[in-house]
Amino acid sequence: MVTERLVLVAATLVLAAVGLLPVAAMLKETLIADGRFSLGAYRALLASGDHLALLMSHSLQLAFLTASLATLIGVPLGVLLGKTDLPWRGALTLVFAAPLLIPSYVLAVAWLSMVGRTGLLGGILPEAWSREIASAFFGLFGCTFVLAAAFMPIATLLMIAFLRNINPELENAGRLVSGWLGVLARITLPVVAPAIVFAAVLIFLLSLGEIGVPMYLRFPVYPVETLTQFAAFYDLRAATVTAAPLLLVTLAVLGLQNRLHKRVLQLGRRTPRGEAVQITLGIWRLPLFALVLAFAAVVVAVPLGALAVQSFSVDAYALAFARAGDSILRSLAFAAAGASLLAVLGFFWGYLAERRTLFLWWTNEWIALLLLALPGSVIGIGLISLWNTKATSFIYASPAILILGYLAQYAILPTRVVAASLHAVPRSLEQAAWLSGAGWIATLRLIVAPLARRGLVAAWLISFVFALRDVAISIVVYPPGADTLPVRILTLMANGAPSVIAALCIILIAVTLLPLAAAGLWLKFSVARP
Amino acid sequence: MRKWLVPALVVAVVAAFVLWRFSPGTQTPTVVVYVSHDQVFSEPILKDFEKETGIKVRAVYDTEETKSTGTMNRLIAEKSNPQADVYWANEPVRAEVLRQQAIAAPYLSPNAEGISASFKDPDGYWTGFAARARVLIVNKNATAKPDSVLAYGDPGWRGRAVMANPLFGTTTTEIAALFVLWGDERAAAFMNALRANGVKLSPSNGDSADLVARGEFAFSLVDTDDVVSRVRQQQPVELVYPDQGADGIGCFVVPNAVVLIAGAPHPDMARKLIDYLLSKDVEAKLARSDAAQIPLHPGVEGPPELRPIDKLKTTQVNYAEIAAKLQAIQPFLKRWVESGW
Repeated sequence: MVTERLVLVAATLVLAAVGLLPVAAMLKETLIADGRFSLGAYRALLASGDHLALLMSHSLQLAFLTASLATLIGVPLGVLLGKTDLPWRGALTLVFAAPLLIPSYVLAVAWLSMVGRTGLLGGILPEAWSREIASAFFGLFGCTFVLAAAFMPIATLLMIAFLRNINPELENAGRLVSGWLGVLARITLPVVAPAIVFAAVLIFLLSLGEIGVPMYLRFPVYPVETLTQFAAFYDLRAATVTAAPLLLVTLAVLGLQNRLHKRVLQLGRRTPRGEAVQITLGIWRLPLFALVLAFAAVVVAVPLGALAVQSFSVDAYALAFARAGDSILRSLAFAAAGASLLAVLGFFWGYLAERRTLFLWWTNEWIALLLLALPGSVIGIGLISLWNTKATSFIYASPAILILGYLAQYAILPTRVVAASLHAVPRSLEQAAWLSGAGWIATLRLIVAPLARRGLVAAWLISFVFALRDVAISIVVYPPGADTLPVRILTLMANGAPSVIAALCIILIAVTLLPLAAAGLWLKFSVARP
Repeated sequence: MRKWLVPALVVAVVAAFVLWRFSPGTQTPTVVVYVSHDQVFSEPILKDFEKETGIKVRAVYDTEETKSTGTMNRLIAEKSNPQADVYWANEPVRAEVLRQQAIAAPYLSPNAEGISASFKDPDGYWTGFAARARVLIVNKNATAKPDSVLAYGDPGWRGRAVMANPLFGTTTTEIAALFVLWGDERAAAFMNALRANGVKLSPSNGDSADLVARGEFAFSLVDTDDVVSRVRQQQPVELVYPDQGADGIGCFVVPNAVVLIAGAPHPDMARKLIDYLLSKDVEAKLARSDAAQIPLHPGVEGPPELRPIDKLKTTQVNYAEIAAKLQAIQPFLKRWVESGW
C-alpha cells in the first residue's frame, strides 16, 4: 500500500534525521583537522591500543556481569510478580522499579553511605569486617552490585509486560501434560525469550556506557577515556572517536542477539484469547512472598532507606522544593512530551520491525540500538553541532532540543515494546480489514492500535521513565535556566547538603512512581477490559 | 479509541504549557551565564543579582561527574553561535583556554580595580575574584605534620599521602604551575617520585579530604574549602599552608574567573553581571558562605578560618603560562595516571 510505505518511510527518515544526523555531524568533525581531511584522531586512538584494551576489558567484564546478574534475578522476579498470585504484586512492582528511577551515581552514594567504613554497617560490624566490605565495594564487585540493582527492574518490568501477551491456550495445553515448572521451562520462557534477550542486551549496553558509578567506586572503564578527552583535553573530536570501539562492541552484540531473536520468534506466533493464565502458588505463596520481601529489603530498602533517613526532616523537603520546584515540573513535562512522541513514533518503528513490510525493515532497530549504545555526551555534542545555528536557534535554545535527544537515545525502547506487542496481533486481522475496504490508517487506528494498547501504554511508560531519569544528554543540552530534576540533583551534589540531595532523590522517585501507579490503575480498570 | 483521547490531550496540553512556560522569553532583560563554580554557592549570588537589577539570569551549572568541565565543553561546542553571555569559571586556566580559542572577549570592569594584576588578564579577557588556595589537609592524629608539597616525595611519608586525580580540576592546574615554576625535568622527576613513594589517587579533592578525615591517609593537597567544610563539621583535620618558609614556593592560589563571551547575545546585561560578580559585596558573600572563598579586594573580610590573601606567601606564576603548560603536559599526566592502574 502506498500510504503504508509513505508513512513507514517517513517514520524511518525521522529516526535517521533525529538520531543519525547529529552523529554524522560529529563524525564529520572527527575527520577534519585545521580545515583539512585527517585521520589523526583515529590514529591517536589506535596508538593507545594497549591502554584502551585494558579499559575495554574492564567495561566488558562489568557489562557482562551486570547484565547476567540483573537478568538472572530480574526474570524470575518478573515471573513471580507478573504471572503468579503473590500478595501485593502491584505494590512490589513499584517498589522494585524505584532504583531504576534515580541516577545510578546517586544509588552508589546511598549504598556507600550504608556499607562504607563510616556508614551504618561500619558502625555495627567489627572494624576488620567493615574494612573488608568497604574495600571490596570499591572496584568491580561494588560496581556490578550497584548497577545490577539499578538495572534489574528493566528485566523484571519487561518480563511482566511480555508475560501478559502469551497466548493462554499454549500454556493451558501444556498444563494438561505437565506442572507449572515444566510449562514455564518449555513454553512460557521460550516464548518470551526475545524479551529476556532484549532485557539482557539493554542492560549490557547501559552498563557498557556507564561512567558515574565506576568513577565513584574507582574502577577504570572505557567511557572514562571519553570523559578524559572532554574534561582534561577539551578535545571534542577525540572524545567522539573514542566512542567508535563502543559502537563495534554494540554491533557484535546486536549480531549475536539478532540470530537468537530470529530463532526464538518462530515459536511465538500466537493469537491471544481470554485472560492471561495465573500461576497459583499454593503453599509456596507465603514463603515466596517472604523471600521477595527480604530481597526488596536488601536491594531497595537499604539504599532508599539511607536516602529516606538522610532526608528525614521537613526542612530538607522544604528546601528541596524551594531549590528544585521548577525542575520537578520541567522534568515531568519534558519526559511526558518525549514519551508521547516516542510512543507515537515507536508505534510505526515497532510496526515496521514486526511486520517487515519494507525492504529495509531492520534499519530502524539497528539505528536505534546503536544510538542507545552511544555515550549521551557524544549525542549531546552532536545535537549542538547540528542544531546550534542562527536558523535553528529557536529549537536549540528551547526544550525541543532535549526532546530530540530523548528521541535519539531511547528510540529502541518503544520500538521493541511495540514490536513485541504487535507480535500478538495476527496479520490476518489486518488482511481481513483491507479485504473489507478499510485503508491502512483506518486498520491501524481501529484494529491494530486497540489490540496493541497494552504495548503502547508500556512503551509510553518505559519511555517516560528513561526520559525522566536521563542525565547524559540533558546535562549537555538543557536550555539555560531550564534544567531537569536529575541534572539539578547532580549539580547540587557538589558541596550541597546531603539531606537536601536525599530529599530530591525521594521526590524524583515519587514523581515517577505516581504516574506509573496511575497508569497501572488505568490499565487495570480501563484498558484491560476488551 | 475515544477513551484514549482525553488522557492523550491532557498530556499534550500540560506538556505544551510547560514547554512554553520554560522556553526562553524575549520580553524580560536576560543574561545567560554558564557556571562551573558549585551551584549551591553560585546560585544564591545569581538570585541576588536578579533581585537587585531585575535582570533575569538563565544559568547552566556544572557537575562533579563531568569534573566541572561540562559548561566549558559546551562553550567550545557553541563557539560558532554562542548562547552564553558570561562564563563564571571556578579557576582561571579554563578562562585562559577560552581566550586562546577566541571564545572570550575583552572587558575591563571598573569593579576589578583593587584586585591584584596577577589575578587578572591584562587585556580584560578574564578577571579573577574570590579565590581558593591549595593547602594541605592533615589528620590531627598524624605523628608529624608536612609543611611542603615536597612531602609527597619524601620517603618518610611513604604510602601515607593521597592526591586527587591530576588529570582534572585544580590538582591539574597546580601540577602545571609546578612545571612552569620548576621546569619540565624537575617537575616530571617530582611526579615520578610521587609514584615511587606510593601516593594514592582519589577521584576528587573532596574524596581526598574525606580519606584524610577518616584517618586512611595522613595528608592530602586539596582546596581551602575542602578543609574548612571538614573543620566546620568538627572532623579531626587541620589546615597547613604549604611552603611558607623563606625558600618556599608559596601556596598556589586559584581564583574564580569571570569571562565575557565573544559574540554574546546580551552583551550589555553580561557586563552588568560581570560588574556585579566583581563587586566587594559578592566577595564578602562568598567568604561568609560555606564556599569559604578568600577575597581578592583589599579590605573585604574573609572566612575566619583562613588567612587573608595579603598574609599568604603565594606561588608567583602567570596563569597564561600555566594554561599553555597544562595543555602541553596533559599527555604526560595521562600516561602517569594510567601507569598507576
